[in-house]
Amino acid sequence: MSRALRRAGLALVILGVYGWFLAATEVSVPRFLRGVPWMADFIRRMVPPDLSVLGSAVTGALQTFQIAVVGTTVAALLALPLGFLSARNVVPGPVFYPARAILNLFRSVDTMVYALFFVAAVGLGPFPGILAVVTYTAMTLAKLYSEAIEGIDPGPVEAIAATGASRLQVLRFGILPQVLPLFASYILYRLETNIRAATILGFVGAGGIGFYIQTYLRMINYPAASAILLVLVAMIMGVDFASSRLRARLV
Amino acid sequence: MIRICGLRKLYLPDKLALDGVDLDIAAGEFVMVIGQSGAGKTTLLRCLNRLVEPTAGEVHLNGSQITGAPPDALRSMRRQMGMIFQQFNLVKRASVLENVLAGRLGHVPGFPSLLAWFPHRDVDLALACLHQVGLEEFAERRADTLSGGEQQRVAIARALAQEPKVILADEPTASLDPRLTESIMGILQRINAERRLTLVVSQHMLETALTYGTRVVGLRQGRVVFDGPPGAITPEVVREIYEGGVR
Repeated sequence: MSRALRRAGLALVILGVYGWFLAATEVSVPRFLRGVPWMADFIRRMVPPDLSVLGSAVTGALQTFQIAVVGTTVAALLALPLGFLSARNVVPGPVFYPARAILNLFRSVDTMVYALFFVAAVGLGPFPGILAVVTYTAMTLAKLYSEAIEGIDPGPVEAIAATGASRLQVLRFGILPQVLPLFASYILYRLETNIRAATILGFVGAGGIGFYIQTYLRMINYPAASAILLVLVAMIMGVDFASSRLRARLV
Repeated sequence: MIRICGLRKLYLPDKLALDGVDLDIAAGEFVMVIGQSGAGKTTLLRCLNRLVEPTAGEVHLNGSQITGAPPDALRSMRRQMGMIFQQFNLVKRASVLENVLAGRLGHVPGFPSLLAWFPHRDVDLALACLHQVGLEEFAERRADTLSGGEQQRVAIARALAQEPKVILADEPTASLDPRLTESIMGILQRINAERRLTLVVSQHMLETALTYGTRVVGLRQGRVVFDGPPGAITPEVVREIYEGGVR
């Protein structure tokens, strides 16, 4: 009886809180329905796409791709030492705990915020975009690396240590072969995510295709914006496809 | 060759795995360590190369003390002791040859080895060790494509590649069927005879221990309760080792 009552009370509280969230965020179905014609209008004005801007679309997409590739690869390397330093089964507690704390601290800020920071620091263009991608991705990958390292089979590591190998050799021959395919898969996955992230980077002046999307939307040139979007969608689908094929072969 | 005095191991909080073991093992002996599971066989073997850190007591290899040795000295002593494990402990994604070359890590120049560069004579030695266990033609295969018995033979080749004076084998046949047990124990026996290597092997099968060992050490509750040639094992001794259960 009291158990059922407690459950009913808890359910009421959760419902109440949820209702408050809905009200606070001004969620309204009628308002959405009133907006539907405008959405239709927006989309109608996007067709047909203005293919004369394809040149700048491809240039922008290429730059976004370049930012994502350079940012992800640099981050993948920087994350290596960080990953090992924050793996519980590699380093002692006094190293592990601070390393994990640093990772979590920097990981809680998104690429976009780093982009604003780096644009202010080094100026506009793709370079601050790369710095932003590197900072966030290095932290995320380091976390994923360290979890992969913590999940390895300790047997081979012990066997290598028993041969009289040094600590670095144990790392290289006992741990690395077990985690490298996983690392590669994580890197490809981050590359996919970073292409999307790098798209938005252009909105804050950090290079890439986002700049064109934002410019044409502001100029109310919807046909041009839709042409850019088409190129963007094609690129993302292409990269996702290639990357998932590669990842399937890795693990 | 190996001198063990007063070796004790306490796993916190209160599991006393070894309770004062004293043993002298001469060069060329084939020592079988027997006992119930939980008697301390694995702990004893692992304390010899300090994969498990003993709580008290001393282990000497050829007159130098392993217990308490600083990291560099420990590594050079581990180099002289190959180890074989129940679960083979190969790096599964690496090739058979790479696994055997791992046995050379203590001998080759450090930095080049990190780039997986090994001198020719070390590669030749690794191949010769593979030949000795009859797996030369598998050198380029990935380790996890081999059967259990084959993987254990690769592990033996890895231990041989160290050019050790001693081989420690922790239940090397416990994951294998009887036919493979014979093959693995036969290889160990040949190594013992041909290379005059000292072997310390834990073995839960009494028959196997008596067939292959030149000396049998019976452990019960972390203490040596029998130490002698296989011929001296009587039914009373067997009861002493295996009966009465774990306290």
